[in-house]
Amino acid sequence: MANAFVAAFEILSFGAIIVLIVLGLGIIASMMGIFNFAQGEFVLLGAYITYLTYARGLPIWAGMVAAPFVVGALGFVLEALIIRRFYAAPIVAMLGTYALGLIIRESVRGLIGGFYLTVPEPIGGSIDIGAMHISAWRFTIIVITLLVMGGCYLLLSRTSFGLRVRATLENPSLARASGISTPLIYGATFAFGAALAGLAGALIVPVFSLFADLGLRFLIQGFVAVMVGGVGSFIGPVAGAGVIGTLSAALPWVMAPVVADVLVFVLAIVFIKFRPQGLIAGKGV
Amino acid sequence: MPKSMSVVREAIAGDEADDAMAERAAAVQVAAGRNVLPIVEGVVLVAALLAPLVLQDYLTVFATRVIILALFALSFDLVWGYAGIMSFGQALFFGSAGYGVALLARDLDITNIFLVLPAGTIIGLTFALLLGGFLLLGRHPSSVIFVSLGTLTGSYAADRLARGWYYLGGQNGIPSIAPMTLGGYEFSEGPAFYYLVLGILVVVYLLCRFLVRSQFGLALAGLRENEQRIAFFGYKAQHLKAIIFTIGGAIAGLAGSLYAFHEGFVWPNMVGVVVSTQVVLYVLFGGSGTLIGAVIGAVIVEGVSFWLSDNYRDIWPIILGVLLLLVILFRPLGLISFVLGERERVGSFGAKPNENKKPGKEKRNAAP
Repeated sequence: MANAFVAAFEILSFGAIIVLIVLGLGIIASMMGIFNFAQGEFVLLGAYITYLTYARGLPIWAGMVAAPFVVGALGFVLEALIIRRFYAAPIVAMLGTYALGLIIRESVRGLIGGFYLTVPEPIGGSIDIGAMHISAWRFTIIVITLLVMGGCYLLLSRTSFGLRVRATLENPSLARASGISTPLIYGATFAFGAALAGLAGALIVPVFSLFADLGLRFLIQGFVAVMVGGVGSFIGPVAGAGVIGTLSAALPWVMAPVVADVLVFVLAIVFIKFRPQGLIAGKGV
Repeated sequence: MPKSMSVVREAIAGDEADDAMAERAAAVQVAAGRNVLPIVEGVVLVAALLAPLVLQDYLTVFATRVIILALFALSFDLVWGYAGIMSFGQALFFGSAGYGVALLARDLDITNIFLVLPAGTIIGLTFALLLGGFLLLGRHPSSVIFVSLGTLTGSYAADRLARGWYYLGGQNGIPSIAPMTLGGYEFSEGPAFYYLVLGILVVVYLLCRFLVRSQFGLALAGLRENEQRIAFFGYKAQHLKAIIFTIGGAIAGLAGSLYAFHEGFVWPNMVGVVVSTQVVLYVLFGGSGTLIGAVIGAVIVEGVSFWLSDNYRDIWPIILGVLLLLVILFRPLGLISFVLGERERVGSFGAKPNENKKPGKEKRNAAP
């Protein structure tokens, strides 16, 4: 019983981490039609900023708060300078963002060297429920993920900004005709997606420690999750992330980890092949 | 009157500028008409033939590796540059063939060149046929995004599998593969291996050149430019894509088996995302859609990275990223487009109408 509970918690917390990472990726993919290969590096940057504040002796949570804003601002600048040119061609966008990611990743690698740098958990210790111990920080991640998810949903579905974003997604020329500045909306959306990645990086760095390929590790999983969930809506990628995260955390409990690792991807690709629109089809929130 | 004079003068000045422009355009056109492509190809071939004579031994070894990678780049260029299929997992075929021949050499002691190279080619071909068939064929045409992410995922999954599978050596891969043999002769690193690889590259290059200049190649170029239109012409676009994908996989397999024997070991990165993206870099730099562009790109990227890696190992990937970004933004056709006109790239090579009208051939290619 206790084992099953711990397993369930592990699966849930890993699922939450994947959801957190995919949120930004999914918003950019759904709202802008761009598969952002640099997203993993935005995660990495968020982690790096958190590490920097920790190394300077500042409180860790300060870095975690700062990370999304810094990364979001960077995303806004990059969108205005570079990404903007790629909207017409999705493949070129992939290659361009890949190049961007390469630059960011190798810069960070140069800064931190080939090391694995650890950042302590801001909320240490464990929560004890009877005989069972679960990591307090992982629990916090789950809670924050739920909050961020809810916040994003409300932002996109209930606010006028969300309405503009959705209008721009659905019909850019009509949105422009209605007086919405679509370039600004695209910029803001990209910055928002980047900020979410920065937040994800900041939150997961105590769990995975900081190394240059941190973002790359999650990038492909994120892409697969977005495709499984369905591009075009906000809920789709989140649902996909839930499925992929849960599967990749749950399968190793029942079979050899190597097989499980590969099986998740194979299953996902087969699923997408036969259901290209993903779990949740349709545009909107 | 004076007013009109000045207008005329201005017009003349403007004309001069226009003339300069026109002259430049004409020069480009003449260059295009003169066919720069064979000249470039000839120069590259001569340079490649003479390279071992001027290079030191360790550089010849390096040059051999570059030639093998150029062969690999060729396979990606066929798929992306001609048919417009973004294969982010080309290393899957390269690496699996490498692993395949490594296992042949390790477990069955088969190192005969006439067995291992075809074996590697067939492994690459089979994997490409399976993956390409799955991703590209089917009732609904697959989106470009799906194919690119599907190949990427395939390559990543293969990487993870190779890392975790003890039989394949896990993280360390398979070290110290026996050298390739021809009767009693062992191909070790050096000029002999270099010329062997160069010979293979030239043969494959000529075959590819023939292929892309056939009706089939024209249809492929059409696919890249506008898939829907090609489909409306009655071509089976998906079949064309699957065929070229498989051919690309076979060439990648050939390159992978050569690479495994040349380096003497295979390791998980060889099937993974790292090598997959590397080959994309070669082709983008050199210029996609021209076979020679892929070769030149491989030589330039590997050459510069070799040259810089002594002193600037850390910043080289950053420079590479910046260069790549600049190429994508400002020279989408690659470095080759500095000397080569658009006409030579796209496939106006038919040109002479009486040559192109071979109905039988057309028919065969139309419904493969």
